[in-house]
Amino acid sequence: MAAARGDATDEMLMVRYQRGDREAFGELVRRYQAPIYNFVIRHLQHPSTAEDVTQDVFMRVVQKAAEFKHEARFSTWLYTIARNLCIDHLRKLSHRRHPSLDQAPGADPDQPALGESIADRHPRADVDRSATASEVQACVVSAVSALPEEQREVFLLREIGNLPFREIAEVTGVGENTVKSRMRYALDRLRSALSEFEEYSRALR
Amino acid sequence: MDCEKFDRVVLDLLYDELDELTAAAARRHMEHCARCSGIGSGLRATREVGMLPVLEPPADLESRILAAERRAHAELPLRQRIGRAVSVMAGYAMRPQLAMAALLVLVLASSLVLLRARPGDRDAMRVTERGVPEVEGEAVVVPVPEQQPAGASPSPPSPAFGAARERSGRSASEPSEPKAEAALGVARSGGAGAPAASRPEDESAPPHRSDQQAYDEALARLNARDFEEAQRDFEAIEARGGDNAASAALLAAQAVLGQSGCTAAVKRFEDVASRYPGISIGHEATWQAAKCCQELGQLDRARRHLLTLRATQAYAQRAQTALDALEGQAQGQTAVASRRAASRPAPAKAAPAKPASKARRARPPAAAAAEERPAAPKADVGF
Repeated sequence: MAAARGDATDEMLMVRYQRGDREAFGELVRRYQAPIYNFVIRHLQHPSTAEDVTQDVFMRVVQKAAEFKHEARFSTWLYTIARNLCIDHLRKLSHRRHPSLDQAPGADPDQPALGESIADRHPRADVDRSATASEVQACVVSAVSALPEEQREVFLLREIGNLPFREIAEVTGVGENTVKSRMRYALDRLRSALSEFEEYSRALR
Repeated sequence: MDCEKFDRVVLDLLYDELDELTAAAARRHMEHCARCSGIGSGLRATREVGMLPVLEPPADLESRILAAERRAHAELPLRQRIGRAVSVMAGYAMRPQLAMAALLVLVLASSLVLLRARPGDRDAMRVTERGVPEVEGEAVVVPVPEQQPAGASPSPPSPAFGAARERSGRSASEPSEPKAEAALGVARSGGAGAPAASRPEDESAPPHRSDQQAYDEALARLNARDFEEAQRDFEAIEARGGDNAASAALLAAQAVLGQSGCTAAVKRFEDVASRYPGISIGHEATWQAAKCCQELGQLDRARRHLLTLRATQAYAQRAQTALDALEGQAQGQTAVASRRAASRPAPAKAAPAKPASKARRARPPAAAAAEERPAAPKADVGF
């Protein structure tokens, strides 16, 4: 049955789960836990909380399984849940004090301490600076973290969730042109952060 | 195309969301416009260099989620479980096809009751040699109505069902699952007396399983790759009608796919799609039919299905991606045929398309699931 379930679309798996096939839910978790986790962690920028929120996303799927309408795409519905939970969490966090600049965000080797990422936002202005892959990645992470929330969520839904712009518009509740406008701003900011790296110049050719 | 329009479509171009005509026009514009070419190249380079590193979730996250799901089901109050079941059923009861199926079940059930209210006509009595009935109290044998052989085509679904079963090598003398056959017998005979016939002498036999129970058991068989039994069970469930009929039809087709591959399954999927149009089951069946046609090299047929799906919201994107892939496959086939024709001066038979149904069955789940997921843009950036 693994092969048959592996061929099934997400919507078909939801049909089966609604009918009581618990393994169909397991397949949906296997498909989406990584992208949802990445979306949440990049959006909240808080690794330890990201695990809990990711779990909450799938629990919301369990609780609301009967409400899923098969005319819609499952990915749109799932990312809508994820986005809403992130917004709720960010509202709670906004009442807290700003984290220390030296706070290391958990055991994530890819994510630098916030102090480092702030410093990286203003690197030396050497033209075509050669950099290691990890430096470039750190710059990307920092630049995405620095995006305004509305631009960041659109960027993450497109790049991590791989949702088309039309679906991002459904998830975020704004028009498609607004989504594209936010994405364009996000990419322009990213371009500013990356423009001094040699890798970027090479990619231009 | 002008610069203003290019600005509106450049992101769609970057993320392959443009139709071919507009994309070609945008690329031509970039060739002649330094400004737009710079914008396009810059965005493309940004995407190439600016890929976010993908983080692996914690190793135990999946097991934690599944454990939480199990707890959620175990802790759900009975009232909520019933409420959830009712809301699911109510949602489907509003659909016209299911309402009609429910009406049919009601008619069959009332026929059962009305006909069984006068059992005298159907009771058989043993007649003695003297030509008079046996004395009351002696054993009375209820005759079992003649069942059709297992390999014959049953009345409910499509003629393809019988053909597919014959192709799969079933013989008429093969022992059949008694409950499923009884259910088919109910559907064929209109319900008159078949349940009694299936339990001729044993009045202590267990009551007829609920539809949901039968569905769960059929699903378990499908999970265990017992495709033949699963197919039979799902067909019986569909024949009885009810809430699970549509998904049972689709899963029966899936069982045929698992057992016999695309050659047998494609017609089944098409039948399901035509019987349940306009709902997710029908769309899914059309999608599976398209995939089978593509595997079998029947590209025109696949294209027709995908064009139908492109009009539906849930499958539009996927169908378009598949159509684009189909065009590539068609061009590849044309090139192969041209090369063959050029290398052989005498007319010769073209090599038959390799049947891909077994390849589809043998494909590992991860690869199949990866195909089902939206295509990752990372490796395909560029205009």
